[in-house]
Formats: sequence, C-alpha cells, structure tokens
Amino acid sequence: MSELLQVRNLEMSYYTEGGRVRAVDGVSFDVEQGEVVGIVGESGCGKTAVSLSILRLLPSPPAKIEGGEILFEGQDLVKLSGERLRRIRGDDIAMIFQEPMTSLNPVYTIGNQLIEAIRLHQQLEGKAARNRAIEMLKLVGIPRADEVIDEYPHRFSGGMRQRAMIAMALSCDPKLLIADEPTTALDVTIQAQILELMRELKERLHTAIIFITHDLSVIAEMSDRVLVMYAGKIVEQGSVVDLFHDPQHPYTQGLIGSRPSMDVERERLEFIPGSVPNPLHMPGGCPFHPRCSHAMEICRREMPGEKQGENEHGVRCWLHLDKSDDQARPLRAAVGAAEE
Amino acid sequence: METNEIPGTGTQSRGYEEAEIPAVDLEDDVSTGTVAPRRRRGVSEWHQVGKHLLRNRGAVIGLLIIGIFVIGAVFAPVLTTHNPIQNNLTMRLQSPSTTHWLGTDALGRDLYSRMLYGSRISLNIGLISVVIGVAVGVPIGAISGFYGGKLDIFTQRIIDIMIAFPGILLAIIVVTVLGVGVQNVMIATGIASVPIYARLVRGSVLAAKEQSYVEAARAAGLGDASIVFRHILPNCLAPIIVQSTFQIATSILWAAGLGFLGLGAQAPMPEWGAILSDGRAYIRTAHHLTTYPGLAILFMVLGFNLLGDGLRDALDPRSRGN
Amino acid sequence: MYQYIARRLLLTVPVIFGVAILVFSIIRLIPGDPARAIAGVQASPEFIQQVRARYRLDEPLPVQFGIFLGDLARGELGRSTFSRRPVATEIGERFPRTFLLAMTALVIATIVGVSAGIVSATRRNSMFDNVSMLFALVGVAAPVFWMALMLQLLFAVNMRILPATGIGTWRHLVLPSITLGMASAGLMARITRSSMLEVLRQDFITTARAKGLNERFVIYKHALKNALIPVVTVMGLQFGILLGGAVLTETVFAWPGIGRLLVDSILRRDYPVVQGTVMLMAFLFVIINLVVDITYAFLDPRIHYQGEAGE
Repeated sequence: MSELLQVRNLEMSYYTEGGRVRAVDGVSFDVEQGEVVGIVGESGCGKTAVSLSILRLLPSPPAKIEGGEILFEGQDLVKLSGERLRRIRGDDIAMIFQEPMTSLNPVYTIGNQLIEAIRLHQQLEGKAARNRAIEMLKLVGIPRADEVIDEYPHRFSGGMRQRAMIAMALSCDPKLLIADEPTTALDVTIQAQILELMRELKERLHTAIIFITHDLSVIAEMSDRVLVMYAGKIVEQGSVVDLFHDPQHPYTQGLIGSRPSMDVERERLEFIPGSVPNPLHMPGGCPFHPRCSHAMEICRREMPGEKQGENEHGVRCWLHLDKSDDQARPLRAAVGAAEE
Repeated sequence: METNEIPGTGTQSRGYEEAEIPAVDLEDDVSTGTVAPRRRRGVSEWHQVGKHLLRNRGAVIGLLIIGIFVIGAVFAPVLTTHNPIQNNLTMRLQSPSTTHWLGTDALGRDLYSRMLYGSRISLNIGLISVVIGVAVGVPIGAISGFYGGKLDIFTQRIIDIMIAFPGILLAIIVVTVLGVGVQNVMIATGIASVPIYARLVRGSVLAAKEQSYVEAARAAGLGDASIVFRHILPNCLAPIIVQSTFQIATSILWAAGLGFLGLGAQAPMPEWGAILSDGRAYIRTAHHLTTYPGLAILFMVLGFNLLGDGLRDALDPRSRGN
Repeated sequence: MYQYIARRLLLTVPVIFGVAILVFSIIRLIPGDPARAIAGVQASPEFIQQVRARYRLDEPLPVQFGIFLGDLARGELGRSTFSRRPVATEIGERFPRTFLLAMTALVIATIVGVSAGIVSATRRNSMFDNVSMLFALVGVAAPVFWMALMLQLLFAVNMRILPATGIGTWRHLVLPSITLGMASAGLMARITRSSMLEVLRQDFITTARAKGLNERFVIYKHALKNALIPVVTVMGLQFGILLGGAVLTETVFAWPGIGRLLVDSILRRDYPVVQGTVMLMAFLFVIINLVVDITYAFLDPRIHYQGEAGE
C-alpha cells in the first residue's frame, strides 16, 4: 500500500453563538503518494475546513474535531501531541492558502519568512539556508531571486506572492502539499501561470497534493482523483475521468453543467437553482434535496449511504441506491422506519 | 457567505469607519426613479444593536452605574439630607455617621448631599461639552472631508495644531483665556474635543464618499447639503456615538482635574474635583473628603467607558459573529 | 526612509508655527490690556509703558508676532511677573524634573501595559486576563489626582515607607511616576490586547503555524511586531496625556516641575511663564509624535515606501 494520508470519518464542528455547525460531517478519503486529489464544492461546503483540520490549524474555540482519524504514514494526526505535530507541519505536510495578499507577514522580508522554515526543518543555517531559499524562489520562477529575497511582501504582486508561498511550502520537500484555492484570488492570466507552475512542480517533485477549489476546470487540469463536497459531506468521489464523463450525483452533474466551457473564468456555480443551505438549519435527509430536481420522498428523510461503483467511483445518492441496494426500495412508502 | 470557513479572517481593523453594517434598505430617491441604497440603520437594526448591547455584561454594568448617577442627579433635591452649601461650623469634619452618611467637610457641610448635587454638575459638564464638541467638530470634519482640496488641507493643519496640545492642556489654555468657572470648563473641554470629532468624521466621510450610494445620490441630482446630511452623516453616526460616550467620560475627568486645580468650579459649588481639592488638607484626619468624591468620579467615568466599549462592540458587525 | 523622515520633519514646521500663533494669541485674547498681562498685576504705569514699547504692542498684530517669533528663536521668553526671573531660567530649572517623571511613567506604563496585554491576549478569558483587564479599566477611569492622594495616604501616611512629597532621591520618584503611569498602563494593556487578538486572527499567523513554528515563536516573532504598530502610535498620545497628567501629579506630590509651574502661574496671572510653559509642552509633544512616526516606519515596512516611486 502506498497510502500517504487516510482520512476516516472526520467530524469537525464550529461552536458559534447561533449553535453548533457541523462543518465536516463524516468525511473519508485517501491520498496516495504522488497523487493529486481535488476537493471541489461551493463556498461553505467544508472543503477548507477539511484542509485545515488535517494540520489542526483551526482556531479552537470555536472549531473542534469531534471524531474520526487522520492517518498520515500510519500516525493519527488528531491524537498527536502539539510538539510532534509541529514537526510534521511545514516539513512533511505543507500548505498554500487562498489569499496571497494576507498570508505573508507584512513586517518581515520574503527571505526571512522562507529561511525561518528552512532553518526549522532542514537544519541549515546562515548562508546555506539563504542559498536554499534563493534556489526555491528560482524554482518557482521568481526573477532576480537573489535580490527579491530581501524585499517585503507588499512589494510583490499577488501572483508573485503566491509563488513565494509555494516556494515556502516546498522548501522542505513535503510529502503532501495542501493547496487551498491557491488561484482563486488571482487574475485569470496569473491563475493560469500558477497552475502551470504547480503542474510542473508536481511532475518534478512527485509531491502528493490535495487541491481545493470551487472551480471544476482547475480540478480537471490538476487532479488524478476528485472529491465533490456538499454541506460538509462527500457526495461523490472518483477518478477525474470517471467523474467528468459519468457524473452520478445530481449535484456533480449540476456543477459540470454549469461550468463555462470556454475559459477558466471564475464562475459562481449559479446554474444550480437555490443556494447552499444555512449550516445552522441544515435540511433533514440529503442536504441537497431542496435544490435537487430529482428529489424523492426519501431524500427528505434520510441521508443515503455510499454506493461504490467501478474504479472506486463512489456516490451518495438515493437515485443510485435503489438499483442495487434493497435499502432504498421503499422510496415513498417508508416513514420513519429508518430513523435512528 | 463563507460561514463555514475560518471565522474572522478579515483584514486589520482601521477604526470604526470601515466597520459599518452593510444593511441596505432601498429607498426611491426623487423623481428620476434612481434607487439609492442607503446604509442607514433601520429601526430593526437599532433594535439589534440594543439587544446586542444588553447581552454585553460590561455595557449593562455601565448602564446601571450611569443610571444610578442620573437618578441621583435628577432627584437630588428629594434625595439629599442637608443643604449642600450651608455651613455648619459646629459639625466640622465629621466622620460618616447616621446623620451624615458620608461625613462632613471643613465647613460642616454634608458630603453626601454635596456629592449628589456634584453628580448634576459632572453629568452636565460631560453632556454639554460633548454637544459643543459635536456641534463644532462634526461640521468641520464633514465639510473638510466632503469638499477636500485646499479647504481640507487648511482645516487639517488647524486640527494638527490643536492636536499638538495634549487634551487637558488645551482645556487649561482655554480656561486661562476665558477665566475660571464651570461654564468655561464646559466650553474648554468641548473645544478640546473638537479635533477628535473633526478627524473622526472626516475619515468616515472620505470613506463614504467613495461608496456607490453616494454616487447614485449625486447622479440623481441631489445637492451637496442633502448628500452630506441625508446620505453620508447617518453612516458616520455609529463612530460618533461611540466616541461621544468615551468623550463624556474624558470630559468629566478633565473637568474634575480643572476643578481640583482650582481652575474649574468655584466655591461653594459642590463640584467633585473641587470637593476633593478642599479635602486634601485634611487627608490625614478626614480622608472621607478625598476618598468618596474620587470614587464617585471613578465610577462615573468607568460607567461611560464600559458603555462605550459595549456600544463599539454592538455597532461593529465584525464582533457580532457571522 | 530618509525621504520619509524629511517629509515628516517638514510637516512639523507649519504645526510648530501654528502652535506659536496660538501661544501668541493667549495674552492677546485675555480680556484687558496685554501690556498689563505681560508686565504683571502690580506693575507700575511706567513699567507697563516700557513693556508696551518693548513688544511694540501699539503696532499691528503681524509686527507683534514678528517680535514674538524673534524672541522665541533666541529663547527670550520674557520675565516672570511673580519671581522677576527670566522665564527661560524658570522653565530650564524645572523642565528636567518633569521630563524625568514623565519618562519614568512612560517606561513603567509600557512595560506593565504591553506585557499584560500580550499575556491577556494569548490567554484570553483566563483569570489573568479578567483581572488585568479590570485593573486596566479602573486605571483608565480613576482620576490621576485622586490616585495620587490615595497612594500618598497608603504608602506615605499610613505605611510610612515612601516620602509623600518633594524631590531628591529615587524614592521620591516612586509614587509620582506610578501614579502618572497607571492610566497609561491601563490604556496600553487594553490596546495591546485587542491589537494582538486582531493580529492573531490574520492569515499569516496560520501560515506561520502551518510552517511548524512553535506557538511562542508565532506570538513573539510574527504577531508581536504587527501588534505593536498601533501600540506605538498610542505611546505618542500617551506622552501628551502624561504631560497633562504631570500638571495634576506634580501638584499633589509638590514636584517642582513645569506642570506645577503652569498651574501656579495661571493662578498668579503670571502670563509670560504660562506662555513659555505651554509653548514648551506643545513643542515637546510635537517632537515626540515625530519620533513615534519614525519608529512606526521602522516597524511597518509598508509606510516609508508609499512616498517613493508612487507605489
């Protein structure tokens, strides 16, 4: 087995003034070595919450991981001590964030922030650490790296900052890179450049990547496998080919249908009628049913289980369960029978 | 809305002016039919603010403290036990007792009664000086921010000069020129707060000027005065209210300081700072004359500061959770 | 950087000029004859006449202001109508004492306030946080002269461990500087705390944690420098508050500085001294704020580039 990361039944909630919000609700997935896994979904579906849960970077309170396991090379990150987790952060698992404008500390130079990570994890000091930092900046395509290293972040454009963030993330040769909407805040042309860079680096460094985005075109370009999230749950997962050619879940179908075919323009997925449910008042049953054109009686009552198809193509939808599972037969008839 | 993502990843706060509630109530403006969305708070919005305020422990304590002083001030004639300015030389420097709840001063006057009337003076000074500060500072800031240009540069330099004097020093200068006395203290503390309001409102106006609802109002052909008073100033209301609450506290402190220095209220006026100053000579034998007035000032100032903190939180949507 | 400092220096010139105008106006705004105000209440008619001639009080205001500025530039501030000594001498003698008091208070306030603020922010809602924030609230709300009297009563009258009034030894400095620093400490604790909490919510803090830095490093390297930016701004304002507070504190502790001199002079209608003291205090405050702005530029790299290259 070459499983690098195994997430099992992850449960994470925010405790807000309005009540408990289940941001991640029973999410399970694997990431193999060198594999790129895309997580796609609308804003608020829990994809960022998943990514931040892995390194336990969520502010607590209000966030709390309430269950499940996150096995990284066999050790459970959920139970790891702070000290040992810190040794993994930035070294074995690195992150890139959505907002390059605010993700770098404005009062320290790029070099300072890069070298700090290198010194921490690579036992390089002084000149050697600095050289490594310059090398990394060159790797991500920053021109005049040996001068730019002493600049403050505000002198950088958004794209350059994101390159610097990538350099920082890759500086310690991580086994897993978590990229949380790394291109969302950027201009279209810059977006394309950053994606190109990441693809290139992926080929070169064989780092496994969890790529989080709301943009299906990006997923199609980057990923080997895709997880589709809705309201804190994975509703469909499969290889990128299977998912795009044979989407099973009405939500996935909607996402693909609403994708603008011409360009990679950021597009709010507005072609699916309705909007993401209020997390404080989640609809019962399948959370997608109020927006689903195929909604049935049972969808309102009960969350469907996962149906595994070929090639590990899984889907959680009653439409597909009634064909193979006996559980879904009582489409309209069963009332409360399955309520636990 | 990214309710599910990490809360509070917003940018660094730059004061109240950017922390406006984006409550948009649509209102048809004039005959052109242009819709100018205004961010003025509706009744329900204020209701929300009130509810939030009452859930804030500090603010409630502050309101209670202020309430007690206000009741004391309003009903002082009923609540007092003695005449606050009548001397009684046979009862000098008495310690607190059942007849004189807080004791008496060097002239035999009842401290409790004097302090009750004193709360009238302090509250008056606080309110009136804020009214002066707002009445002068807000228009200056609004005009300066709205018109910009040379006028703005000029007023900004004037403000810079006023700010070059620490607040109480500015008040002392004004009192020096106008002479001592309670009224002059009100004017002095009021003037000393003018630059604060001018700065605050100018900043808010500059921010509001760029908003689309102002553009819309302008496109609809509204006059400058109408734009400023109906569309811009209502949006600066929140920071002005918060600042005024704190400013009441500051003015009370400054006024008490001036009274203590002999530059404020004059005998026999029962102003707290002056009472304290009179009592100083007897600190070894009758420290109630310094302790109680000081505590009164402390609590009144604390009350307004707590309320100010609470108001700031209630009016700042970021702190209200998503 | 130097450009920024030069620009900032240039901006202080009109302010100091304006301050001079204001100080110049004080005597002319007081009801009555300015010559009598300068000469003193009990001055002889001849002396008043002399003063009128010396300051050309019969001539238009711009001429008078020219004379005033010329005198100011030479440090010629007139004579006290009370002591008959030159104002410059009176002030020169007392100013170092006020400066010592205000600086000691500022140092105490900064150390106590900033450290309490940091600890409060990192242990939000803990016992420490609650208690120190309560102290901060009370420290800000308590009138400084009352605090002075209470400390005097406690430490000098009752416990007899520190002198109540006067100057001379370091022990004389303890009570006045603590009194004076208390309000500032409270304010700085509150500002440090809220600024720190704000910074700790920023994305780059998550970045720093994601790098595997330990929490202490995240707080003291990444958060603190950002959090101190507003604190430094407030420090400048604090100095003004301290100068104002010195007027009151010096009165209670019989500390012969310029604050007490100012109050005494106002009460004695010794206007030349009032003029000189006010000018000095305002000038000092302007300079301190200049220093603060420059410090600010060192803390925040975004500041000094704005002027250059039109970024």
